[in-house]
Amino acid sequence: MAVAGSWQASMLGSWPPRPCEVYRAEWELCRSAGHILHHYYVHGERPDCRQWLRDLASCLEWEESHSPQAQRSLCESEQARVQAARKHTLVWALRQKPPADWNLPLPLEKDK
Amino acid sequence: MAGAPGGGGPGPAAGEPLLQRRDSGPGSPEPPAHGKPQQGFLSGFFTRDQSCPLMLQKTLETNPYVKVLLDAMKHSGCAVNKERHFSCEDCDGNVSGGFDASASQIVLCQNNIRNQAHMSRVVTHELIHAFDHCRAHVHWFTDVRHLACSEIRAASLSGDCSLVNEIFRLRFGLRRHHQTCVRDRAALSILAVRNISREEAQKAVDDVFESCFNDREPFGRIPHTKTYARYAHRDFQNRDRYYSNI
Repeated sequence: MAVAGSWQASMLGSWPPRPCEVYRAEWELCRSAGHILHHYYVHGERPDCRQWLRDLASCLEWEESHSPQAQRSLCESEQARVQAARKHTLVWALRQKPPADWNLPLPLEKDK
Repeated sequence: MAGAPGGGGPGPAAGEPLLQRRDSGPGSPEPPAHGKPQQGFLSGFFTRDQSCPLMLQKTLETNPYVKVLLDAMKHSGCAVNKERHFSCEDCDGNVSGGFDASASQIVLCQNNIRNQAHMSRVVTHELIHAFDHCRAHVHWFTDVRHLACSEIRAASLSGDCSLVNEIFRLRFGLRRHHQTCVRDRAALSILAVRNISREEAQKAVDDVFESCFNDREPFGRIPHTKTYARYAHRDFQNRDRYYSNI
């Protein structure tokens, strides 16, 4: 994949967020019979796979021509996915560092 | 988490005993083994004579769900050491496993885990609790809503509530049945470790369901099969490139 030297590439990063074959794999998984069944089992409706196809097209265009429109379209799509995953307020507070006792020796009464 | 004792009887059983362990606090138990081993070519069901440590080793090395969780925990500062963080024990009752937050250890009930596939599911379920413990201040013993949240996530993301597993339990449903299963199993898991009423357990599940059901970390999706888990693992390994290019 052509990188650097191109102002378009440096503007938004040199790479699509995912390799283009990943967008293809996600689109194909999305429209597979198994996924349609799983999606119905969870959500009660068929999945909408069109955005993966749009993203695949944008990714290919990004790689081939570094089109700013394609880059923008793909980044906006991925940002929307990230926002959708984060929109619910968490029940608990996230830690700043892992539990201090994670690797401490087991308490004596549990030690084998 | 309560379930039909021994094998896939229909529906949950109330009053499952707590995960019995020397001096342990209430962990988050996993439901018992469901039903008879599957007939057919699925090799995971033909490992009845494997020991718990051997089945655990195979799960840790090969199962894609577990790989995602192990990598995510390492990234969060909780690298998992098999000898330190897992324990194969005989358990009272029909519980399959539990996460002991006070000891930072996953207990695997070797007398109730009968095959490789079940081992993988139990390990996935308990690692989700361990992952939550690692990344968040989960008030396991003092806030039933926190316990409910982790149980919702574990039921949803471990494969506990897959269509196939529900059919084995003779619980038939298709449209949005996954959510019904998750609510039911989360409530039963709570009842297995808390001396509260069924209504209180269900209310805790209902209160946090929207938030916790949609928290798909570290998978980023509900991994319905190993393929989804492999895709999740691929995405996790790619996360640096991903976040620096959106």
